[in-house]
Amino acid sequence: MTRMFVDAWDPSYGSSFEGGSEDGPSSSSSAQVDTDVEVPAAEWAPIDVSAAVRRPDVVFLVDGVRRNDAGLWTAEEDGTSYAGLAASYAAGVVRCDLARGSAELAGAEVRRGLFTASPSADTLQTDMIRYEVRRLEGPGEASKLPSAVQPRLTELELEISAVARGGSDDLLVVDGPLRNRRHLVNTIGYVKTQQKLYLSAALNVVVTSLKPGQRTPVFHLGTVWGGWSWYLRLPGGSGAPWSGIVRIECSPDLTADQAIELAEISGATLPRFASSPYKDPRAPQNLVPIAGLERRLRGMLGDARVLHRALTLATARSRT
Amino acid sequence: MIGVSDETSPVGRVLGTADATPLQFWTAVAPGSYLQLDDVVVTKRELPDREPVTIAGVVTQVRARHEGAQFDSDVFAIAEGTLPALVQEAAEITTTRVDPELYVPPAPGAVVHRATGAARDAALHFDRMERRIPMGTGRDGVPVFLNADFLDGTRGAHVSISGISGVATKTSFATFLLYSVFRSGQLGADGANARALIFNVKGEDLLFLDHPNTKLDEPTMANYKLLELPATPFSDVRVYAPPRAGDSSGAPDVSSRLTGVDAFYWTLEEFCDKKLLPYVFADADDERQQYTMVVHSVTAHLNRYATPAEGGISIDGRRISSYGDLVDHVVEQLTDDDTRSTWAGSAINMGTVNAFARRLIGSKRDLSRLIRGDLASRRPHQIKTAESAQVTVVDLHNLPDRAQRFVVGVTLKTEFEEKEKAGTGRPLLFVVLDELNKYAPREGTSPIKEVLLDIAERGRSLGVILIGAQQTASEVERRIVTNSAIRVVGRLDPAEAARPEYGFLPPAMRQRALLARPGTMFVNQPDIPVPLCVEFPFPAWATRKSESGPPPSSTLRSIVQSADPFAVVGGRGAADDDIPF
Repeated sequence: MTRMFVDAWDPSYGSSFEGGSEDGPSSSSSAQVDTDVEVPAAEWAPIDVSAAVRRPDVVFLVDGVRRNDAGLWTAEEDGTSYAGLAASYAAGVVRCDLARGSAELAGAEVRRGLFTASPSADTLQTDMIRYEVRRLEGPGEASKLPSAVQPRLTELELEISAVARGGSDDLLVVDGPLRNRRHLVNTIGYVKTQQKLYLSAALNVVVTSLKPGQRTPVFHLGTVWGGWSWYLRLPGGSGAPWSGIVRIECSPDLTADQAIELAEISGATLPRFASSPYKDPRAPQNLVPIAGLERRLRGMLGDARVLHRALTLATARSRT
Repeated sequence: MIGVSDETSPVGRVLGTADATPLQFWTAVAPGSYLQLDDVVVTKRELPDREPVTIAGVVTQVRARHEGAQFDSDVFAIAEGTLPALVQEAAEITTTRVDPELYVPPAPGAVVHRATGAARDAALHFDRMERRIPMGTGRDGVPVFLNADFLDGTRGAHVSISGISGVATKTSFATFLLYSVFRSGQLGADGANARALIFNVKGEDLLFLDHPNTKLDEPTMANYKLLELPATPFSDVRVYAPPRAGDSSGAPDVSSRLTGVDAFYWTLEEFCDKKLLPYVFADADDERQQYTMVVHSVTAHLNRYATPAEGGISIDGRRISSYGDLVDHVVEQLTDDDTRSTWAGSAINMGTVNAFARRLIGSKRDLSRLIRGDLASRRPHQIKTAESAQVTVVDLHNLPDRAQRFVVGVTLKTEFEEKEKAGTGRPLLFVVLDELNKYAPREGTSPIKEVLLDIAERGRSLGVILIGAQQTASEVERRIVTNSAIRVVGRLDPAEAARPEYGFLPPAMRQRALLARPGTMFVNQPDIPVPLCVEFPFPAWATRKSESGPPPSSTLRSIVQSADPFAVVGGRGAADDDIPF
């Protein structure tokens, strides 16, 4: 009889792996995968954290949050109308000093933007806040607007993490794939949700057989945003084959040895940040510092009702 | 107008997540700053078309919490360094003064300053006190004052001190307050001429008021200096003690203080002449007791027929020279059918007489050393503050309960009558009485309670100020407590602290009173809306034999007493306990 597991994530966040089968991600990736980097594919087996690994005292974690404050419509002179989106987004860095036992917000910034394709739209200024206009190319359908916010948020995350780190080479954990952040030094991308299967069926068995704290050998992805990658199982999962599994990547500019060293460090560092299911709807993948950071950032975004009312007032005033 | 001077440092801002009201508001404490309970702070509120309102208050509660933590266990993640969180402190401020009196709430976000100097004085209303008596220092180490108007009878009088025995330091605070009245010079001539009558109930603690304290150290001296008081013992003290039991010479019954102690007693003649018999019975005025009628008729009979006879009295042709003889005679006369009606009236039945006789006989053992017929009546033996020193200490600690009541009742009645006769409120007389709940209990009546009630209600105009102390204010006659303008609380019993008598304490302070250290008191005075936490200095006078310095020369009544007969000639003053060879 098949064993069943309830996914630890709150259903509204989707699942920790996006696919149909309960065994894991279903859609296979067409990417070129080189699995012979650390050990030959035939010898793949779970790797324990080695005792000799350097455990960094200070870990930086970056994340951003966004919220759509209001949807707007413009009325142009020629009678046409464009959709607009007033959004707030914030990015922050947590500096976890594990030796001293203090986690603090090393930097955070909130920005607000009015995303629209309207050529005549102007910056919205209310008493307290300012929505800078971010003009989009093309027709700017309402459904495309939310995705226009993401590049801005990533940009802000980059800025903030550069400032907060201040040149140190402590480990930086970026939420999500690295993509265009691959130039950051000593940085790993942390992928919570497994949408694609990169490995062959035989090697996926190694992934699902990982015990908490163990990782797979490093492999190389040959995609556009590819690079070195490996899987890690965090403690606190439900025991389902793919629960608690995260994929971690680092810059393809590194040598294989450097990538393996980062993989070792991640295996020693990340498990202690894993969250527990009753506290976080996306446990254990949503790391504790990230959850705390998101809470702080959401607080900094301001009260949604107040902002919505302020926007309503500001637009009403501009019409008269 | 309270000044927010530039020197005062900002410590935080008024919170916006809790209601700010004109009388109470919360302040978020800025990082790197702190506020403790009792700190004085001040903030400003700008108003359109008016001068700004300055709101001053004291901290009545402080709290700290992790912001960004959702679960109790998050604290471990935060301490480990994995969860970012902020420690935020907040302080509850209870307003003490609004100037000008425009009761608007402070605006959330307004900067809150720590008040120092003139701003602090203004916040605590010290600037409005014309005469201010130092009581000790606040938690911030700066003096706090008592408005003399509420002590000397100008606008109020009487002090009520409550607290657990032993740790609440009630008597110490009372004596320190007296010392401050006498020595601060704030009361002018009234302070210098004032008299104090102190009843010493426990141990021989108060018998060394005029001896310097050898344990006085530098910090304590500095404390006295800060309060602008000299660190010296009381200068003019006279101590009265009861005669030793069974001693025919009437020598005072004290063991540690050897010089400057006088014996007090009443002669039989005074006992009869001044109608002191009712004070023998604690509940003589209780209407439910039949025998009180007998008490009053016997008192009247003794007053009318007793004639002085060389120390003792003579009545019905018999010479009586001791209290025991008097009791025997009275009981004999009352039980005799022929004489009973002349002593007690005609409508008295035997049961009532027996009730009276039983109590009277019971008093023989306790009172015979105090009511004497064998000592010369010319010898000074009466407690009279007007003819005594500035401070008169009456030692009761060796006396049984009934005798204590008798002494307190009679002494207070005599003093109060003297004051009534004089008809003026000056000089002031401070009466310090511990265990007030024993002398003026909430239930029932007695002649002593009547005297104390008289003092509480009329003493203010006659210049008699009662400084009463008790473990439980809830057990003291309510009229005495309510007539006290100044209420002081030391450490309280938890059950006692919950009673309405302590309603003047805000909830947080009530909780603090449960763990107040010795030397810490909470003082409530009428013109400051919040009780002040006061730490009064260690006494500059000795409180026991072991810490007492040399006695003042005025107490050495003869050359014999000034030289220690046991001192080794040429010896270097070895410690008392040393073996002399």
